[in-house]
Amino acid sequence: MKFQIEEVTVYFPYDNIYPEQYSYMVELKRALDAKGHALLEMPTGTGKTIALLSLITSYSLSKPSNPPKLLYCTRTVHEMEKTLAELRRLHSYQVSLLGTSANYLALGLSSRKNLCINPSVVSTESRDSVDAACRKLTASWVRALAMENPNVKTCEFYENYEKVGSEAILPPGVYTLADLKVFGKEKGWCPYFLARHMVQYANVVVYSYQYLLDPKVAAIISKEMQRESVVVFDEAHNIDNVCIEALSVSVRRQTLEGASRNLSRMAQEIDRFKATDAGRLRAEYNRLVDGLAQRGNLPITDTWLSNPALPDDILKEAVPGNIRRAEHFLSHLRRLVQYLKGRLQTENVEKEGLVAFVASIYTQVGIDQKMLRFCYDRLHSLMLTLEITDTDEFLHIQTICDFATLVGTYTRGFSIIIEPFDERMPHIPDPVIQLCCHDASLAIKPVFDRFQSVVITSGTLSPIDLYPRLLNFNPVVSHSFKMSLTRDCICPMVLTRGSDQLPVSTKFDMRSDPGVVRNYGRLLLEMVSVVPDGVVCFFVSYSYMDGIVNSWNETGILKEIMQQKLVFIETPDVVETTLALDNYRRACDCGRGAVFFSVARGKVAEGIDFDSHYGRLVIMFGVPFQYTLSRILLARLEYLRETFQIKEGDFLTFDALRQAAQCVGRVIRSKADYGMMIFADKRYSRHDKRSKLPGWILSHLRDAHLNLSTDMAVHIAREFLRKMAQPYDKAGGSGRKTLLSQEDLEKMMTNGNIQEMLF
Amino acid sequence: MNSSKRKRSNGDGDEDEDYEEEDEANGGCLQAWERAYADDRSWESLQGDESSLLRPIDNKAMYHAQYRRRIRSSPSTFRIQKGLIPYLYIVVDLSTAASEMDFKPSRMALQKNVEAFIREFFDQNPRGQLGLVFVKDGVAQCLTELGGSPDSHIKALMGKLECSGEASLQNALELVHDYLKQVPSYGHREFLILYSAPSTRDPEDIMETIQQCKKSKIRCSVVGLSSEIFICKHLCQETGGLYSIALDESHLKELLLEHAPPPPAMAEFAIPSLIKMGFPQRAAEGVVSICSCHREPKVGGGYTCPRCKARVCELPTECCICGLTLVSSPHLARSYHHLFPVTLFSEVSPSYLSTLQLRIPKNCFGCQQSLLNPGNKPGLFVACPKCSQYFCLDCDIYIHGSLHNCPGCESLRHSKPVIDAEELKFAAAGNQISTAVSPSAAAQ
Repeated sequence: MKFQIEEVTVYFPYDNIYPEQYSYMVELKRALDAKGHALLEMPTGTGKTIALLSLITSYSLSKPSNPPKLLYCTRTVHEMEKTLAELRRLHSYQVSLLGTSANYLALGLSSRKNLCINPSVVSTESRDSVDAACRKLTASWVRALAMENPNVKTCEFYENYEKVGSEAILPPGVYTLADLKVFGKEKGWCPYFLARHMVQYANVVVYSYQYLLDPKVAAIISKEMQRESVVVFDEAHNIDNVCIEALSVSVRRQTLEGASRNLSRMAQEIDRFKATDAGRLRAEYNRLVDGLAQRGNLPITDTWLSNPALPDDILKEAVPGNIRRAEHFLSHLRRLVQYLKGRLQTENVEKEGLVAFVASIYTQVGIDQKMLRFCYDRLHSLMLTLEITDTDEFLHIQTICDFATLVGTYTRGFSIIIEPFDERMPHIPDPVIQLCCHDASLAIKPVFDRFQSVVITSGTLSPIDLYPRLLNFNPVVSHSFKMSLTRDCICPMVLTRGSDQLPVSTKFDMRSDPGVVRNYGRLLLEMVSVVPDGVVCFFVSYSYMDGIVNSWNETGILKEIMQQKLVFIETPDVVETTLALDNYRRACDCGRGAVFFSVARGKVAEGIDFDSHYGRLVIMFGVPFQYTLSRILLARLEYLRETFQIKEGDFLTFDALRQAAQCVGRVIRSKADYGMMIFADKRYSRHDKRSKLPGWILSHLRDAHLNLSTDMAVHIAREFLRKMAQPYDKAGGSGRKTLLSQEDLEKMMTNGNIQEMLF
Repeated sequence: MNSSKRKRSNGDGDEDEDYEEEDEANGGCLQAWERAYADDRSWESLQGDESSLLRPIDNKAMYHAQYRRRIRSSPSTFRIQKGLIPYLYIVVDLSTAASEMDFKPSRMALQKNVEAFIREFFDQNPRGQLGLVFVKDGVAQCLTELGGSPDSHIKALMGKLECSGEASLQNALELVHDYLKQVPSYGHREFLILYSAPSTRDPEDIMETIQQCKKSKIRCSVVGLSSEIFICKHLCQETGGLYSIALDESHLKELLLEHAPPPPAMAEFAIPSLIKMGFPQRAAEGVVSICSCHREPKVGGGYTCPRCKARVCELPTECCICGLTLVSSPHLARSYHHLFPVTLFSEVSPSYLSTLQLRIPKNCFGCQQSLLNPGNKPGLFVACPKCSQYFCLDCDIYIHGSLHNCPGCESLRHSKPVIDAEELKFAAAGNQISTAVSPSAAAQ
């Protein structure tokens, strides 16, 4: 269908549209018109992605003179593929209506691991080893060697690509990663470098968060994107954590030992070069005198992750004199590693600000802030000079230099925390130096500054006023949309009491109470005998899950549960969890029924959907607060209070509730689906906790369901399941339309009552 | 009054929400026994009429709308071929879940609904056969073999049954599959299970069993007592059956009875085939003879098989001696309407008629009652598209549900030779009642 939003004709590839999709587009259009940032919350399963894509592409089609580019950031490769599949459908629809004038280029960009088609390279396992293997074949000096000596191996795909040079272009269309590979194989071009080249010309680029947020990657990939781009962060409820992780480094003993090994290997290399080719080192020295601005002239294959700090700060200055010579730089690094080793010896937990830390480095080993700041680039330059291609071996020293550069660049928003052992396992010595970033706005600031419109969207962004404060920006539009439903297909419940009417909670002083453990067990037991197919349980942490499952096992509750359904458990091991999930799905398919025990903030809670019969019920045992005694969290809370005036309690509750919402949101993935959600903790009935849940859950949380005990919940569950199993009318009854056709929309617009439909 | 009215009309969303919340809060405080009545607050729908007598709100129109929706969605409105000789196995789930008390008095006690279903089934499918199976302790057992008489099944069902163990859908399917394999190809193989467990405990891969059933053309339907289970849905989708979940006691009965009319014929079996059938004569009163089915001497009543002269007690049945299917002609006639359903009447709204300047009819053609509501306001009524006679809503339901003839069209038939055309079509439709052994022919 196609319709008009103000002056823009929107092409929408489906015959019907949900009212909330329409209002989403209207809000988004306002943000684009205002050239500002937007913060939009819309529940999952309402077609957020297609609404976004179709509005933005239609918007750029309506402005043929200067079409804005769309940079779409997803969290996982799987989501990237899904987005591109939607986009392909949209694109073919637009082309069928408009002809070739609607043609544009859209592609996905991912790491070498996902794009490489050279069989000898892609067979290695990890991402870093694929990168290194690629460099071994494509680095400029390797290729130069290969010119003289035909025995030196190179990558034929890259050679072919390089031969065509800038002639190599993708015809317009939508390319998923698989399509890029197929295209690459057909032409014999390297898909990775082709994609990186085409990113400059593409109208839509779908890639991972890191390409924009991590300064190391962003400087290479996203540097040349024009200002008129629209940046979208999808599923962005955890964007502050991503930002923080991008600027945090932790150093362990293994890292330091590895770094020492790397340093001695580099020293050998330097000696070798001195004997054979002293001119190279000399040339490097001269280049460094001129400053680091040479970066842009490097051939594309030689670039690698650039400076972890903000790009602008570094390039203007020249490398300080005392680390220009390779030997001097190495000895500086050696001293730094030695110093860090010394700090790791500590017996007690230490917490330091960056200024004090830098001062202590200066007094003890004589390395000043400026030298620290240039570590990363200097190392990069040195490794190029030494022609080191197996970069995966040198990760340790890179981590150290990364650390040093961050320490040297920032003075605020960070702290150094040294812990001799993990709080939860005090017997095992595992010393670690953590450089923790507390300020999510640091990493995302360049994105907000550089691009005119940044859209942050997710199914759960509540409370929506906190994100602008955390990320330190001013959205022109911030809106939370509700879901229009033909029937009440979600049934959230707050369970405060067990079957014996005593309160249940995972509060610290109550969680090990046998009564609470038993009540939780009885709750699950009653539920599994009522709910068919799949039930998902979320616990607050691995240790709590282990404890409670153990005591259920001892009291025999677990055995009774297993009478009803098979039990699967998430573990920190990815392979084991995948296997468990697979078997869980099979048990649901064949009617045996299954329970999945999972952990809030775990991998399952973030990325796995339990739609339709895979998740008829999700039980959230307790409120998933972060581990509040963690030093990193405490330091961050302190920083938030001082800098942004966000109270500790507010932030913790916000964080816990968004995790809980994320967990329970796993069960409902479309409007035809239905599912129940039980929040099993008495604290959820308090208004300050509950009100932080997203609106689409709150609007279905009836007052009668706020203070339930187990038997009442079972009764409600029975009735709900029966009601939902009845056939229903998908388009919505007479009263409120939940599916609009083109005529409906036009009628609404002519009548001018469009506002009634919007919330 | 005035102010409150204005408030209502001006009232924004907040206010309305407040009202709703209040209601919901009240709903939440209800006791469990009260909740059963929360949906139909019949006392609230009372209203006084002119003479200040209480009378219930006229919800006839609402019921009628529901009924029409059902009749429109059911395939019986189209003239499709029906499988007239179903062989049905009813499987009753007697696992521990069946002893739940959420249906009053308990799920198991609802088996009296099955009794009503069995009677209805034989009423609608006089030549159908039915057998009972139950599942408990993870195994399926046969309660009664396929048979044509309702009484023996009902007797077996009324016996003492106890719930225990798990339910296994696969075992039930396999057992029924084995039984139904032997059914002749003109018969329609049907499987209906009353399922109350929330899961199934199967020995092997149930997907294979489902494929087997699909291959053997067994149409599987499930009536659930608890909640929707994926595997049951899958089973019904694969084999073309119906899947429904009962909300309460009366809904369960309704759902069960939906399975009584003959199912649509499967395309592979649409070829006409001949079935031998006998139409026995009723024996004279006062004659003492030994009935062949019960092996007891009986006085009067009973029927005599036209081929072997054996005495049977009731129809329809199969002769115990020569195996001939014995029916009476009303039985055949009763299945006739499944082939030629009465066309759906169209709704007529009085306002539409008045715009067309047509005379508004006063009386229903069926019952001759006035079509006008009390207060002489014209109500909703329907018209037959063929004979354009008007009927009231009650008659509409009666004509489509029980009578299966349109009185208007029937009275027209005397003047026009519609009947012949109908009969010709009947023969040409390739249905399974192609011939019948008349008593005299069989005697020769």
